[in-house]
Formats: sequence, structure tokens, C-alpha cells
Amino acid sequence: MISLVPSWAVYYDEFWGAIGRRNSWFIKLRYGAVAMLFVFIVSSEFLLGIRFTSTQLLALTIITCMILVYNGILQSIRIYLKCDPNKFNPLHFSLVQMILDLTALMLLVYFTGGIETPLSMLFVFHMIIGSLILPGTVIYTIAVSVIVIFVGIVFGEYINLLPHHAVVGLLPTPLYQNFKFIMAYSTVIGFVMFMSVVLANKIANQLYRIEQELVESLEQLNASEIEKQKYVMSVVHEIKTPLAALHSYLDIILQGFLGPVNEKVLSKLQRIRARSAEAILLTNDVLKISKLRLLDEITKEEIEIRDIFRTVLLKQRANIEKKKVKVHIKDNRKERTKILGDSFLLEIAFSNLISNALKYTEDEGLVEITLDEKENGVQIEICDNGVGIPGKDLVNIFNDFYRASNIRSKGYEGTGMGLSVIKHVIEKHGGTVSVQSPSRLALTNRPGTSFIIFLPT
Amino acid sequence: MAKIVIIDDDPDILDASSLVLHAKGYEVVTATNPEEGYKVVKDVNPDLIILDVMMNEPDDGFFLAQKFRKDKITIPILMLSSVSKTVGMSFGISELVPVDDFVEKPISPALLVEKVEYLLQLRKER
Repeated sequence: MISLVPSWAVYYDEFWGAIGRRNSWFIKLRYGAVAMLFVFIVSSEFLLGIRFTSTQLLALTIITCMILVYNGILQSIRIYLKCDPNKFNPLHFSLVQMILDLTALMLLVYFTGGIETPLSMLFVFHMIIGSLILPGTVIYTIAVSVIVIFVGIVFGEYINLLPHHAVVGLLPTPLYQNFKFIMAYSTVIGFVMFMSVVLANKIANQLYRIEQELVESLEQLNASEIEKQKYVMSVVHEIKTPLAALHSYLDIILQGFLGPVNEKVLSKLQRIRARSAEAILLTNDVLKISKLRLLDEITKEEIEIRDIFRTVLLKQRANIEKKKVKVHIKDNRKERTKILGDSFLLEIAFSNLISNALKYTEDEGLVEITLDEKENGVQIEICDNGVGIPGKDLVNIFNDFYRASNIRSKGYEGTGMGLSVIKHVIEKHGGTVSVQSPSRLALTNRPGTSFIIFLPT
Repeated sequence: MAKIVIIDDDPDILDASSLVLHAKGYEVVTATNPEEGYKVVKDVNPDLIILDVMMNEPDDGFFLAQKFRKDKITIPILMLSSVSKTVGMSFGISELVPVDDFVEKPISPALLVEKVEYLLQLRKER
């Protein structure tokens, strides 16, 4: 089997995708051509005032039916094709289509007058399409064959070797015996066809090469992003190690393992511990995000979203009881459709959202989790009547290290990494997350916040 | 009283953990690298090993744990690490790494004591 595949494209999915799409486009286009041919055969006499002989009518009808039949066959074969460069693949399929179409067109040209028919112009159009998908040598061979056969037919008619099928009423005088016209026309159409092939083929090759370069540089970019994340992880880890040691000593002192500590010193040591705990929290968050960004592919398993909430709420139970916050789950779905996702990552995301809702909601507040069915997915709303987020902060709230102005001023502890992790996880699942404040549970002085997440099934 | 070997390359972590465990009356022996740790465990035959994941290499703690188990040393191991679950490595107990518990650093004195007591209790019941 001739290999039509350029060496760079063998493992290049984009290339195969493009060929596949073109093949299906050709098939659709061909049905259009068949329809146009039928209209042409039936109405040419009324519209153009031309007349076909019975031989021409029969030939044109047979050719049109033939195109219709082979197009149907091509359409049914298409879906079974594999993108294997060593077997019959979509590219060979394109070549077969090309040869069938050119044969049909050659017959149409012959039966509508050879040199006299404007249909021969369609060869140029076929050549351009062929140049876009077939390798240079193959399309050049086809172009030369088409020119040779066309010239052969034209001269065959000229020397009366082949019967001429003139379209009555098209031309005032017959041209097929006019040697000068035959020479001029053949030279021009041959030249146009050949140049179209050369130019289109060159441009197509250039485009493919540029596309490939783009893909390669994108891969390089991804690789350097991975390197960067690994570097960040190692640096952060190096920072965390001494912090952990520091923390251990502080705990020993604070818990009296080294004997009593003076009250004044103790209170400052407690501040040191709180601040170093903050730093450890931050390093943990950075490590978490770096790891998430390194995870290019998430594991996908079937998950019932309610189970995730059950686990998360169980883990937060102490927190909920301490703050006496009421947490409700409202499941408005008719069916418990499962989603495909990574339960570990989704747990991190929802755990973050719920602990935020608890943290920023005053004692005896309300947190409502609503699950709704949406087209191709699930919508999850986590709504509270807590401190809310000021309007000017809403746009930045999902950025790394960003903390809303009201929670910074009120002295809530945190690193500002939670929401960027959540957004990252949800987007990795092909979902979206948005935020509203005030929420629908808003009370006076308690605007509340609502996070709306969509996860596709 | 029970004997505990702590293997960690960070002298401060060794010191701090020893302090806490001493105060609770345990006998503590320390080692700062995997080779020394292996020797000490062989000599002392402790009731519990506290092992750091990253020492000279990012994962030599894992290999040491595997080596202990391969050599039929079944002493419970409490593994400490600064990474662990924060970065998504969720180790099931004795699944990938043959240890009995896995804790993320920094570990508070109370939690350390709690884990140690639990693992020692478990060893007695075995």
C-alpha cells in the first residue's frame, strides 16, 4: 500500500482529524453535486435553451446515478476507517474519492461536448482540493493524467476517433474541429491546473508545518510549566522543613515540657505559634496547588455528588456543632445522576467551600447546599448568610492569594488560596464556578455569599 | 518502659520528639540517616519506630520501611512527612508503604503521644 502520510503526521491526531472532517465534507458536497446535476439535466432545456440527445441524456443520468451510488457506499465505509498509516486509512480513502470524482467528471465533460463544455473548469477546483490533502507526487501524477486524458479526448474528437457529443444550442459554431482553439484551450487549462496544484500544495504544506510547530511549542510550554511547578514544590518543601521544626519546639515550650514560662513571654510565644501556623498553612496550600497543576489528567470515576457532601459534612461536624450553624442539603434532582470525576479532588474543593461558609458565617447562621438537575450536568449551590464579599472584590476572589477586603480587616485567618484551588479543581472537571454576594439568604448586616458550581455528567 | 527509635535527618525534630517522649517516660534512641537507623533498630530492637520520609533522598524513608518488612522486622512504624496528603499522595495504611500510620509534619506533642500510645497498644494486642 502506498504511504500517503507525511512522516511528521503519522502520530499527529490533529492531522487525522482534519482529513476525517474533509472526507465527511466531501461526501456531503457530493450529494449537493448530484442534486445540482439532476436539476441541470431536467431544467436545462427550459432555463438555458439547450437540448441533449437521447444518448447524452442517458449517459448523464447514468453518471449522476453512479455518483449517487458510490457516494452512498463511501459514506457507509467511512465510519469503519482506522487512522493506521500502514493500512487503508482516511488518506487512501480521499485518494479513492478523488479518482472516482475525476472519472465521473471526465465522463460528464466528454458527454457535454469535450472542448466545448464549460464543465472542464471543474477540473481546476478538484485539483485544488486534492492538493490540500494528498502528497505532492500523488497529486502531480493525477494532474498530469487528467491533462493527458483530457487532451486525448479532445484530439480524439478532432481526428474523429471518438464521437463528438455537442450540446445543441450552447455554441453558435462548433469548436471541436478548430485546431487553434483546441491548442489554446488545452494549453491554458493544462497550465492553470498544474499551477493551481503546485501553489495549493506548497501552501498546504507550509500550513501543516506551521501548525505542527505551534503544537510543538505548546508542548514545550507545558513541559516548562511542569518544571516550574516542580521547582516551586521543592522550594516550598525546603521552607516547610525548618518551619515544622520551629513549630515542634514552640509546642514543647507552650505545653510546659520545659517547665513553666512567664506569662508575658507565653503570650508572645502564642503569637509566634499562630503566625508560624499561618506560614505552614500557606506552604501546604502552595504544595497542594502545585501538585494539582502537575496532575494533568484527573482520575475519572463515577461519583454521586451527595456522597461527597456526606463525607465533607462528616469531617466538618465538630466545626458545625461548635458554631451552631444550621446546614441543610436540598436535593431537587429527580434522578441521582452520577458525574465522572476525581472524588479526592472534589472533596478538597467542596470541603474548602463548606469550611469557608462556616468560617465566615456568624454563630447560629445558615448554610444551604442545593443540588439541581441541569442539562448534561449537576448544579450545586452553596449559600450562606455570613459576612459576604464586597462587590469590588468579587472579580478577584478566585485569584491566588487574594483575600477579600472585609475578611482581612476583620482578622479572619487564611492564606487566600482556597478559592483558586476550588476553581482549578472544578475547571479540571470541565465545570464552572461563579460567586454571588449578597446571597438569596441575605439578612440585614449579613449579606451572605452564594457559590454556584456546575459539573458535567 | 517501651523503647522507641526515631529516624530523621533534622536534628531539631529528633530533639523535640525525644523531649516529648522522654517526658512521657519512654526510652528514646535516635538516628540521623537510614543506614544508621537500620543498625540502631537491629541493635536496640525497639517497640516502635518513628521514621521520616525524606532524608538523604526524597523517598529513602519509604525504602527503609520496605527493607524492615523484607527482613521480617514487624515493629510498628509511624511515618512522618512534610508532604503526604497535602499533595494528594493518599497512602492507605500498609498499602504502598508498609507502615502502620502516616502523619504530616509538624505533629503536635499531644498527637505524637496519642499516636505512639495507640501503636504500642496495638503491638501488645498482636
